[in-house]
Amino acid sequence: MNKLCTEIGYQSVNKYGEQLCGDRVEVISQGDDNYVVVLADGLGSGVKANILSTLTSKIISTMIANGMSLLNCVETIAATLPICEERKVAYSTFTIVRTIENRIAQVVQYDNPDLILLRNGKSVDYEKTEVEMEGKKIYQSTIDLEENDFLVFTSDGALFAGMGRTMNFGWQREEIVAFLEKMVQPSFTADMVSELLLDECNKLYGGEPGDDTTICTVKIRPRKAVNVLFGPPSNPSAVPQMMEQFFAQEGKHIVCGGTTSSLAAEFLGKTVEIDLNYVDDDIPPIAHIKGVDLVTEGIVTMSRVLEYAENYSKESQIYADWNVKNDGASQIARLLFGEATDIWFFVGRAVNPAHQNPKLPISFHLKMHLIESLSEYLTKMGKRVKVSYF
Amino acid sequence: MKVTVCIGSSCHLKGSRQVVEGLQSLIAAHNLKDKIDLGGKFCMGNCQNGVSVTVDDQLFSVSPETVESFFQNEIITRL
Repeated sequence: MNKLCTEIGYQSVNKYGEQLCGDRVEVISQGDDNYVVVLADGLGSGVKANILSTLTSKIISTMIANGMSLLNCVETIAATLPICEERKVAYSTFTIVRTIENRIAQVVQYDNPDLILLRNGKSVDYEKTEVEMEGKKIYQSTIDLEENDFLVFTSDGALFAGMGRTMNFGWQREEIVAFLEKMVQPSFTADMVSELLLDECNKLYGGEPGDDTTICTVKIRPRKAVNVLFGPPSNPSAVPQMMEQFFAQEGKHIVCGGTTSSLAAEFLGKTVEIDLNYVDDDIPPIAHIKGVDLVTEGIVTMSRVLEYAENYSKESQIYADWNVKNDGASQIARLLFGEATDIWFFVGRAVNPAHQNPKLPISFHLKMHLIESLSEYLTKMGKRVKVSYF
Repeated sequence: MKVTVCIGSSCHLKGSRQVVEGLQSLIAAHNLKDKIDLGGKFCMGNCQNGVSVTVDDQLFSVSPETVESFFQNEIITRL
């Protein structure tokens, strides 16, 4: 494992009035550091396009993942796809990005808009080799990747965005490049970049896209560990061992819980300084301990983080509450959902007698359930999650 | 004088925020910002009887409804 990782985020909107999307993104991971991402755009729209793009992306990603050559894949697709009655052709355009050890990207493009390589805030040219296969012109490239590179590729819906509506010809590649150069910060996640560009396309279409539009972003980013200490150990004599192990880990440290933060402060020989500023009425204020990146209350704050995780895939990443607010829960969410790639929960199983009051909406059971559910959501976001109990 | 309000989970759910805000506005209304140092603590180990508040280390249980009488009886009288 090297210190980098590959982050993939994609989003689509359907052609106005269509129930199904004619674009399809398929991601296959071969171990943590190798991915095959295929974006296929089926001819036409609706169910036919959906079937074409699903078949194309599934066949390509599965075959490539199993080590078959590109020629084989394209031949298979040509032989497999059903032929459209009206157009007498059967195909879908595609872009394939294969990342190897987060260092090299092999790119294969067939008729989709050219992939954009964004490096240090600028679009960078890369070499393309033309290969002719079955009468189709396919472009192959090999790109040496660097930290914080963004590979942004789209279906042609992105290029046509706004045609005849807000612009005569829709926006062109140069305008998309200019938009990305202006807007994208190195700290953005792949999800955010895809959302940002898709939102803009949708805006140009006036909310009624003239074609299925899909944006896919592959980002190469440094691995970042975040450790979370949550609750005191069930056996009080295990405190030093838990603290030692927690603070010995590389990366950021979040301490959650009242008693937990006192124990952590004691271990570090520091004090807990509380900031009596209520940023959010329902979330207790945060505190500070020298040597700890973030100190929050426990169960109320973590319940809110779980809520944010539940809604993660349903709402905007850029304008989500947690991305703009500064309460404890939002700060934890930003660290876990955005920054972290490797998350380690140190969970104490001590039972707080005061929490067993039936009048309070908190309990030991809830506490354990919180971390389990949160881990599941974080894993779905592509994080490596580890949980240790004490 | 040091007044500390517990903002741990249990006390929070019992109304720490209203207690803190109540005290903040009472202190401001009585012009006592220089005399009273209002602070917070995560857990005072008295979760059952929250909201826990200490006045110079003496422990009290306060609720959002009793903030005002607490302020008059336990804080003003000690100044």
